[in-house]
Amino acid sequence: MEVSKPQCPFTGTEKRRPIDFAAASLLNLRLIGFIHMRRTRVDKVNAELVTLTYGTIVAQLCQDYDSNYQDVNKQLDKMGYNIGMRLVEDFLAKSGVGRCANFRETADMIAKVGFKIFLNVTPMVTNWTSDNTQFSLIFEDNPLADFVELPDDGRAQDELWFSNILCGVLRGSLEMVQMQIEAHFVSDVLRGDDTTEMRVSLVRYIEDEMPPEEE
Amino acid sequence: MSDNTRGVFSLIIINKAGGLIYQREFQAGLRKLSTNDYLVLAGTFHGVHAITRSITPKIPIAQPTPSPATGTTGPAAPGYSYPNPGVPVSGLDYLETDKFRLTCFQTLTGTKFLLFTDPLTGSVEGIIQKIYELYADYVMKNPFYQIEMPVRCEAFDRHLGAWLRGRT
Amino acid sequence: MAVPPRHATMQSISNGNTAQGNDRPPTQQSQQQSQQSPGLRVPSNRKTIYDRHLNRTRNAELSRASFAFLFGEMVTYAQRRVTGIQDLEKRLNEQGYPLGLRLLDLLFYRSTSTSSSALSSSSTSSSPPNRPLRIITLLHLIHGPLWRLLFGRAADALEHSVSAETANEYMITDNDPMVNTYISAPRDMNMLNCAAYVAGIIEGVCDGCGFETKVSAHNQPTELWPSRTVFLVRFGDPVMEREKVLERAGIK
Repeated sequence: MEVSKPQCPFTGTEKRRPIDFAAASLLNLRLIGFIHMRRTRVDKVNAELVTLTYGTIVAQLCQDYDSNYQDVNKQLDKMGYNIGMRLVEDFLAKSGVGRCANFRETADMIAKVGFKIFLNVTPMVTNWTSDNTQFSLIFEDNPLADFVELPDDGRAQDELWFSNILCGVLRGSLEMVQMQIEAHFVSDVLRGDDTTEMRVSLVRYIEDEMPPEEE
Repeated sequence: MSDNTRGVFSLIIINKAGGLIYQREFQAGLRKLSTNDYLVLAGTFHGVHAITRSITPKIPIAQPTPSPATGTTGPAAPGYSYPNPGVPVSGLDYLETDKFRLTCFQTLTGTKFLLFTDPLTGSVEGIIQKIYELYADYVMKNPFYQIEMPVRCEAFDRHLGAWLRGRT
Repeated sequence: MAVPPRHATMQSISNGNTAQGNDRPPTQQSQQQSQQSPGLRVPSNRKTIYDRHLNRTRNAELSRASFAFLFGEMVTYAQRRVTGIQDLEKRLNEQGYPLGLRLLDLLFYRSTSTSSSALSSSSTSSSPPNRPLRIITLLHLIHGPLWRLLFGRAADALEHSVSAETANEYMITDNDPMVNTYISAPRDMNMLNCAAYVAGIIEGVCDGCGFETKVSAHNQPTELWPSRTVFLVRFGDPVMEREKVLERAGIK
């Protein structure tokens, strides 16, 4: 990419002066800035910033895809997949958990550790199939959809899965730990449903990669 | 903390395919390798690691496993498995000479962190764990980093260097 | 409130109507959905946005990692659709803009909601007017309350150009912008500053207050603060003229 950005006109201190009210507390402000940096290990941010940021992403997609909600769902899933492939390293590095023994354990890990860390919610794991390969996550709360109302255009409530990025995140992160899964929402309170439910199915365990000549 | 990090010579990171994606020296102690030698080392270690993993014996399991899904756990004989079904065992964990020790940490996603240290350096595991956390922050959360590609993230270099110098 | 120039063309976002807002009434009207035939369906427990308190999430926190991954993916997505750094920053700016408009309302709401007068129609007389009329008051709002709402602390400095030709230029400095914590731009893009997103938020706040502005984010690293960022706020000529009138009238 070529650089075409205008230079910031002020580079030296000689061309600017602090605004009066700020000047009085300038020393304090610098100090606060410094203390803040020391505290960033807390690793939290304002929840509203996250909610609004996700909202502006979805709104941008609705605009880019001309309110074709099927395409928006697909794109959200793709973005989630990209996030999941990266997020799993953060999950593993910070949680220090090991590999799960089976898919039931994986489901609990997703709900009780994964969602807890990243969205501060713990969806309920339920509706297992008898072969233990499919389950549902029921969300009591969903910070991504806080204060959201879908467009009243007669289509969005039937076609848009607002939080679809989460399906992609699960798909991407589990793929990185050798599980191919499929995930989709089956209901959403934003659509007027009584619950928000995601269905997750294990497709297969991905064979551990071997040196190519042995495959 | 600086006691812990004393004697850390260099770090290399190997991607899932065996490619070298990061190499950095922190302090003198070893003779320099050419870039090409590092690439060869990464590829060779990756291959040897896979072989050491494949020859790890399986242990008998007490009871029949609840068939893990569509059961693609490889050619495991019935009644025998790794401690966790469908789970690869670890391979080569470290190599040692009388001048240095090479410790390998493979994440569950298949990325390898190789740390060259003085044989006497303690808590290498803790150091690698911290490096993994920095990697998760400053590499994985950087939108300009492409997965599996060489790591060129200024903030990662900076924080890694600062932490190893015991400043943060 | 007067509709700011970009308001009508902007996509509105999450905590409101998600798609084109131009041809549909404000969200408040869907409260009467029982009378409207199309309307939105609501859960039987009526757990809608109108049944939840707006201050519910006031002090709520979420993982910084979640923000970083969402923001990173926003940057990646934007990058695929642009041709240069300027274009990328413009897009990030546009994504931040609607947040500014919304956060402004939230700030006003929260600054008055502690007193009961906020609900009465005569609130303007019984509580101090909280919509800034002068540039300094506006910038103070951004530097302090807005920054605290978003980042949990005030911005690090606020400065004004001393040059007469650029009297409309102000600078807000953040020594370590939270949005850039984990981001390293490639060397060939070292002019890029992804805090253009925050610049867009500032622009939305200014526009929402009736101050036509262009805001851009610039890298101004120091040894201590490698990702120090200066937000350059450039007010439009009508704003500067109005400012003179207000100054003569003694309005603060």
